[in-house]
Amino acid sequence: MKMSQNTSDKDDQSPSNKKNISLPISRVRLIMKSSPDVSSINQDALFLTTKATELFVQHLAVSSFNNGSGKETNSLSYSDLANTAEETETFHFLTDILPKKILARDYLKSLEQMQEEEADY
Amino acid sequence: MDGDSSTTDASQLGITGEYGHYVLQSQDDDADESLNDHEDGGVKENYREQDIYLPIANVARIMKNAVPQTGKIAKDAKECVQECVSEFISFITSEASERCHQEKRKTINGEDILFAMSTLGFDMYVEPLKLYLQKFREAMKGEKGIPGVAVGESLGDELTDDSFTNPLPAGIITADGQSQNVMVYTTSYQQIPTVQQIQFS
Repeated sequence: MKMSQNTSDKDDQSPSNKKNISLPISRVRLIMKSSPDVSSINQDALFLTTKATELFVQHLAVSSFNNGSGKETNSLSYSDLANTAEETETFHFLTDILPKKILARDYLKSLEQMQEEEADY
Repeated sequence: MDGDSSTTDASQLGITGEYGHYVLQSQDDDADESLNDHEDGGVKENYREQDIYLPIANVARIMKNAVPQTGKIAKDAKECVQECVSEFISFITSEASERCHQEKRKTINGEDILFAMSTLGFDMYVEPLKLYLQKFREAMKGEKGIPGVAVGESLGDELTDDSFTNPLPAGIITADGQSQNVMVYTTSYQQIPTVQQIQFS
């Protein structure tokens, strides 16, 4: 599959393919700037962050796919990601934004059970 | 909700004990929310301040290239990675920024970023990144006449140390000449055994 170099981004960088980036740098910069106490970012830092982000996406996708049910179902689901975040130390920082999902009715059921257990004291 | 995302609910049954990090999944989880310029947070209950995301099309494309050719990716997985990406960027940036401040500098440079990655458990990215940076700089040199990348930051703070001029270790595959991203993890970073070498055809 061909990787289009920034052609689909409105944040168009130089038309050159040599830089080999597939994410919009200016958007990355926006996100970086939203961190507190960040005054300025030099070009190398920006490039490295953008590139690292690509690696990160690949890394997370592959780890989750292999780690979870992906190998059998040949698909990547949200819960694969959530499980990987919990089980892989590198991705621990994601556990807050990757909570495991639970259906409301299951939660309420378990809550009832918990309350019943407490009532036994 | 898309029919193929039903795996997320069934798989969570039987979880006992703590209920610290659960979010309630509504039956018709709106999967269409976080597209490109989503400004008011995700559908999850723990609202995040980082509501700026990278375009989902780009993120999804990278994911698609990473998993086996025939693999499928759930829509909520794509959106989720989109958010993880913003989290990752902020994670790295605040660590780099801290180091920068400690050294009484105002501009975050490349070394700060690489150091942050090393510190935060991503040191397996460092070597490939140095190579990419080399290529990037070569590419930039070739465009000296043009105002350059529309970043808006000054080109000061050139990296002076020699750490970016390492010769290519044997076995590293560069992405030059190809239009796909090739990611190689050097074997000296044995942290994630399942992710040794990734090649994309």
